[in-house]
Amino acid sequence: MDFLLLLISTGLVSGAAYGLIAMGFALIFKSTGVVNFAQGELVMLTAYISFTIYSTFELSFFPLMLVTIPISMLIGLVLERVFIRPMLGEPVFAIVMVTVGLAVILRGITIMIWGPDPFNFTAGLSTNVVYLGSIPFYPAQLYLIAALGVMTLLGWAFLRFTRMGIAMRAVAANETAALLVGISVSRIHAVAWMLSAAIASVAGVLFAANYKLAPDLWFQGLKSFPAVILGGMDSVIGSAMAGLIIGVIENLFQGYIGQGLREISGFIVIIIVLMVRPYGLFGSKDIERV
Amino acid sequence: MLALNNLQILYDRAIEAVRDVSLQVPAGSIVALLGSNGAGKSTILKAVSGVLYQEDGEIVSGTIQLDGAALAGSSPRAIVQKGVVQVPEGRALFGTLSVEENLLMGGFTRSRSESAAGLERVYAMFPRVKERRSQVSGYLSGGEQQMVAIGRALMGDPKLLMLDEPSLGLAPQIVETIFDAIISLNKDSGLTVLLVEQNAQLALQTAAYGYIIENGRIVLDGPAEKLRANDDVQEFYLGFSGGERKSMRDVKHYKRRKRWLS
Repeated sequence: MDFLLLLISTGLVSGAAYGLIAMGFALIFKSTGVVNFAQGELVMLTAYISFTIYSTFELSFFPLMLVTIPISMLIGLVLERVFIRPMLGEPVFAIVMVTVGLAVILRGITIMIWGPDPFNFTAGLSTNVVYLGSIPFYPAQLYLIAALGVMTLLGWAFLRFTRMGIAMRAVAANETAALLVGISVSRIHAVAWMLSAAIASVAGVLFAANYKLAPDLWFQGLKSFPAVILGGMDSVIGSAMAGLIIGVIENLFQGYIGQGLREISGFIVIIIVLMVRPYGLFGSKDIERV
Repeated sequence: MLALNNLQILYDRAIEAVRDVSLQVPAGSIVALLGSNGAGKSTILKAVSGVLYQEDGEIVSGTIQLDGAALAGSSPRAIVQKGVVQVPEGRALFGTLSVEENLLMGGFTRSRSESAAGLERVYAMFPRVKERRSQVSGYLSGGEQQMVAIGRALMGDPKLLMLDEPSLGLAPQIVETIFDAIISLNKDSGLTVLLVEQNAQLALQTAAYGYIIENGRIVLDGPAEKLRANDDVQEFYLGFSGGERKSMRDVKHYKRRKRWLS
């Protein structure tokens, strides 16, 4: 029983990281229709930047995030302006290829600046084990799960109640109609990239605090793909939930079936999901009147 | 208020959709633009709203002026802010958003308080829409969707409302409700309306002036009563055939039709 609980709890932790990264994917996909293959690299880059800020100023966690998030948003904005904006009006596939190229560039830059060796990065969090019931947690693990909760709540409230958030959904629903009511679609795209980068930075810092800060952090981006697809590509909240589900499934596969299955279990889930519910658990089917 | 002068529009720099179109929409009037499928009606509206670029369309020559100032070249957002708002063909609601969210998005270029006031005006005008305010708009009936689409455009507080086939696919009774609303908007609030229609009968009853467009050119224009009395319009648009059925072998008829098309 304890073994199962332990598997589930650590599964929730890695699942929370998947969920956060998947939310970033979904936010960009929802409002721009582009799968951003550089999302994992964005996570890595912002984590490294946060690490540099941390080692320079020795901030504790919350002030660190307060500095990291605006910088990340700025990076998101710059990337959108420089790489994506000029591609506006080109086929979506071409834009996706740009993000693939962007991913390689960001990976290269990160290794060039910080080198290939891993760092220990506590992000100002203590490393004393705390017990919830009988299950031991590191504070960083609890922060990661809490961050997913907070981000999900913020994301939901943003998309539901703010003008900008509703406009984002409007652009996703019908871009031409959005233009015709005076929504500046390019501005919405920029906001999507900024928010996505902000979420990426939260994911990056907390993931690094849980494991280590290494240049292979970008791979978490690809590993979050099962969560993105399970969540339904365009559902920000759904991706968060799907992240948790994938995290737990991976851990259960590893614990009960075999070590090697951890890496592929998520992708097995993808295949099943695509066969049974192609629009994911929470994604929107196109509404069609009959 | 709105004036198009010798407008020529190409798609993909190759396909000519509109050629030498000039039309005037005087302030406070309802003007109808009639034509069959593919005549270029929607293209003209897209040009005025500044969204041609989405379909690789381009204004090659000619001007679009609003109150004497050039409109072409402005961003779609700026055009809405200047008070030129379009109700697109086939409603084009934000299907996944609720009715009220759709309406609020219509007021995106206006301040929060203007939006709130606009919402009340739309609800007063279409009580059916108010009943459905919290429903997902994609599931409404066609008539209700058209009301929401018009309401959404009104939220932008337009001076000139452009409607692209508001009667498309609707039951006659609903069409009547919608056209009554358009007429009362024009009479009571002095809203200028450019009405694009295939339903000539309806449009010429509603509008004061009409333009008929075929294959991208204006072939006939005049006051609505005059157009209604025109033999060709009666035959080809209003469906009167002068009592007896025409035979396809009727050469004179064929020639007249041909003139229409060229």
